[in-house]
Amino acid sequence: MKNIFLADDDADDRDFFIDALKEVNLPTDITLSNNGLELMKNLEMLIQHPPPHVIFLDLNMPFKDGFQCLEEIRNAPKLKDIPVVIFSTSASDVYIDKTYEQGANYYIQKPSSFKLLVKSIEKVLTLDMWPSPRPQKENYILSIT
Amino acid sequence: MIRIQLAKALRSLAFLNTEKKRRAAELIIANKELIIQNEEKEKRAAELVVANKELIVQNKEKENRAAELIIANKELAFQNEEKEKRAAELVIANKELAFQNEEKEKRASELIIANKELAFQSDLREKRATELIIANKELESFTYISSHDLQEPLRKIQIFSTRLIDDESQNLSEKGKSYVLGMRDASTRMQSLIRDLLGYSRTTTSERKFVITDLNSVIELVKKDFTETITAKNAKIKVVGQCDVQVIPFQFHQLIQNIIGNALKFSKPDLAPLIIVKSEIIKSSDVNSDKKLPAEEYCHITITDNGIGFDPQFKDHIFELFKRLHDKDKIPGTGIGLAIVKKIVENHNGLITASSEIDKGSSFDIYIPSTLPL
Repeated sequence: MKNIFLADDDADDRDFFIDALKEVNLPTDITLSNNGLELMKNLEMLIQHPPPHVIFLDLNMPFKDGFQCLEEIRNAPKLKDIPVVIFSTSASDVYIDKTYEQGANYYIQKPSSFKLLVKSIEKVLTLDMWPSPRPQKENYILSIT
Repeated sequence: MIRIQLAKALRSLAFLNTEKKRRAAELIIANKELIIQNEEKEKRAAELVVANKELIVQNKEKENRAAELIIANKELAFQNEEKEKRAAELVIANKELAFQNEEKEKRASELIIANKELAFQSDLREKRATELIIANKELESFTYISSHDLQEPLRKIQIFSTRLIDDESQNLSEKGKSYVLGMRDASTRMQSLIRDLLGYSRTTTSERKFVITDLNSVIELVKKDFTETITAKNAKIKVVGQCDVQVIPFQFHQLIQNIIGNALKFSKPDLAPLIIVKSEIIKSSDVNSDKKLPAEEYCHITITDNGIGFDPQFKDHIFELFKRLHDKDKIPGTGIGLAIVKKIVENHNGLITASSEIDKGSSFDIYIPSTLPL
């Protein structure tokens, strides 16, 4: 059972994600957070249990955005090794550069079709992100076709 | 009678004698007188001779003096003339100085005006700079809006429509399915529009850091971007010459990518695309342009293809935003690619021109300063 965290303030996107996860042929358990603040609380609570396999992190969220979450995660001894995959609508260079520098493992621009969404999640779940080192910058953006 | 006559004669003789004696005495006196007078006259003559001599000397003296005076006079006349000349010169010099003074005053007042003008312009520029900063911020927020806020609802339309087709098609009539497909195509097109517009605005807002770049290395990267298309169309890209250019790397990459991308896109269906990229350093005087060129040397890049070309009457219009020369059903596109190209060339203080004829391929001439813009 893979323990997955998703932080996204958009209800549609969360629904898409849950539906897509059902299509993935892997046993998973998902913990949803509606914003960054909730994510950090959830991480605090669940850290005693097996740590998350991966955190899917949206960037633009109210209260606490993805950048702040990433910063806190990478600076917390208990959390710093958890793989983080940025999951954003934007593919702005600024966002990509910043999150890579902050120590995210991969960057995915939210796909524009449901099939690609399923493929993206599948891809992330099969990647060996922990404890292997982070990819080089040129492989940081995970593009699924 | 004789006696009387004699006596008379005697008496007369005596008288005559006495008379003669008296006359002699008188003559003696007169003589003496004359001698004295003569002496006097001689004395006077001698005196006159002396006086005459004196006068001659004085005369000579006076003549000498007169000659000296004439010389002195001439000298004075000359000096006078000189002084008059000098005075006239001084008058002219004075007038000249007065004129110069006036000119200087005029110039000074002009400078004061110019100074005021400059101060005003400076103020204007500052104002303009502030306006530009504000406009830039607005553009940045536009970039953000188009990169995120606009893309998000669009992506959802795309996902919902694909899910309708994929999961719910059994509940849709054929008509219903075609509507959904139309919706999906429109949203795909909107996605490329947003992506390209974002690229266009990025050429304005992004950082401009110039790096010395080998043009041919950029072409190699662009070839990699198009590997699939190049293989599928059996295209050839020939590189002739070499240029080092000072460019904003990602912008320059996009510039070459857009032009080569167009050359591949607008190729003839029955002819393998042949794209020739030629580059050389040329003097600014050899650049074919009416505009004043800021740099001394330019890298002249010519990108020629053997594609479908375009009507030469559109050679300037093709760089306009959203300008398309083809039906989008036949050849897809947003009409932004060459607008981005133009903007990037302008960001590099360069020039770009296009030439073509229908069915005879097209050619793009790009001039980029080979040294850093000041």
